Amino acid sequence: MKGFTTKAIHGSLQKKDPHGSLRVPVYDSVAFEFEQATDMQQAFEGRRLAHSYTRISNPTVAEFEDRVRLLAEAAGVIAVSSGMAAIANVVLALAEAGSHVVTSKFLFGNTYSLFEQTLKPWGLAVSYVDMTQLAELKAALNEKTRAVFLETITNPQLQVADIRAVTQVARAHGVPVIVDGTMTTPWLFKSKDFGVAVEVISSTKCMSGGATSVGGLIIDNGTFDWKQNPKVRPWVEKCGPRALLVFLRREIYRNLGACLAPHNAYLQTAGLETMALRMQKSCENALQIARWLSQSPKVSRVHYPGLESSPYYAIARSQFSGGFGSLLNFHLTSRKACFALMDQCQIVRRATNIHDNKTLILHPASTIFCEYSLAEKSHMEVTDDLLRLSVGIEDVEDIIEDLAQAMENL
Amino acid sequence: MTIKINGESKTLDRTALTLAELLVINKVESPDVVTVQINGKFLERSLFGTTRIQAGDEVDFLYYLGGGGGR
Repeated sequence: MKGFTTKAIHGSLQKKDPHGSLRVPVYDSVAFEFEQATDMQQAFEGRRLAHSYTRISNPTVAEFEDRVRLLAEAAGVIAVSSGMAAIANVVLALAEAGSHVVTSKFLFGNTYSLFEQTLKPWGLAVSYVDMTQLAELKAALNEKTRAVFLETITNPQLQVADIRAVTQVARAHGVPVIVDGTMTTPWLFKSKDFGVAVEVISSTKCMSGGATSVGGLIIDNGTFDWKQNPKVRPWVEKCGPRALLVFLRREIYRNLGACLAPHNAYLQTAGLETMALRMQKSCENALQIARWLSQSPKVSRVHYPGLESSPYYAIARSQFSGGFGSLLNFHLTSRKACFALMDQCQIVRRATNIHDNKTLILHPASTIFCEYSLAEKSHMEVTDDLLRLSVGIEDVEDIIEDLAQAMENL
Repeated sequence: MTIKINGESKTLDRTALTLAELLVINKVESPDVVTVQINGKFLERSLFGTTRIQAGDEVDFLYYLGGGGGR
């Protein structure tokens, strides 16, 4: 079984359902029974593959995890309640008070808030760098650095760094790279092949099959020697090379309680089966719309890594397979013009999400980034004249026609 | 040969075999994600195909799924 979608649909074919169900059912049960006390003991010792309590593992969630593991060709996957939970779990596993993380200065607004407002007061030092400038990254690394974090395509700036080069710099310092692959997923970007240690994904987006449910993923590619991390090292000695996954499952993830609901896992497994088809369509649509917007006299600039004029076109083309993502940004003349365009849209919806089946539009400065100062927004290049368009899988002519009529009176 | 698997004695109808073969013979569940310890030492997955099982070996197949769950 080699094909991406074949794997997404069939998984490992491990256990036959007792009723012949072609879908793994929703095991909406909190606890699982054992035949004998020794079976229960062995499960708790890790000597038996068995589910005991849904906050820690669940058969429906495990099926989703296993299919993603196959697609990413990773060592293991843990599904969590959201993409933010995935980031929080990994950072809390790798770093401690007094330690340090280097991250891209371009981050999803809530991720920036996690680092700046939630983790800094607990004693985590954070350096923000431009990941396309390797000298900046090298200068920021120190003996207390526990991770380098970046998004495969930054949201909303759409910057694409040379991820292989970033991992090479970090590894030379014994530091793992975590990428947020929400915008790309293993369909566009196989993070394992680029030396990435851990990939986190908001499965709410491309995987959920059209914004059906919230979820997240932690993917350990199995490429990093966890003995190099002081917090994970004792788990390597105790539990072997899958130490990060065991540390998460038996402590961080278990104790934080951010488990994925079985029903959400069911929806997202179904979504995963059609992900490649949907992503191909949304990427094709996004490229066509980006080209159309580039020709519009009402639009001053368009950001999309698939445009040959983009400074990230070459690296995106070499790193990603099958497209350039479905998010694009464009500048009008002012916030007033942005709001006017948004209000005239009929098919394009005003909503905060990405990789929905529907095309969604949003003004980042007044929404996701509204809690930040002008200086912070300027640093993150979130300007008042910027609109974000998350392109869906509708017929592209209809999206373009809608945007055209919305621009008429600008 | 006789070996111990997860603490229980098991006699195999083979004189020589690799760990990868043992995973198949013993019908180990989810072999792609199992952690293996031989005589207390963890093995990297890349060594499964070349590691030879010896008589008297203590082999543990570990999953670490459960542990400290419900109230």
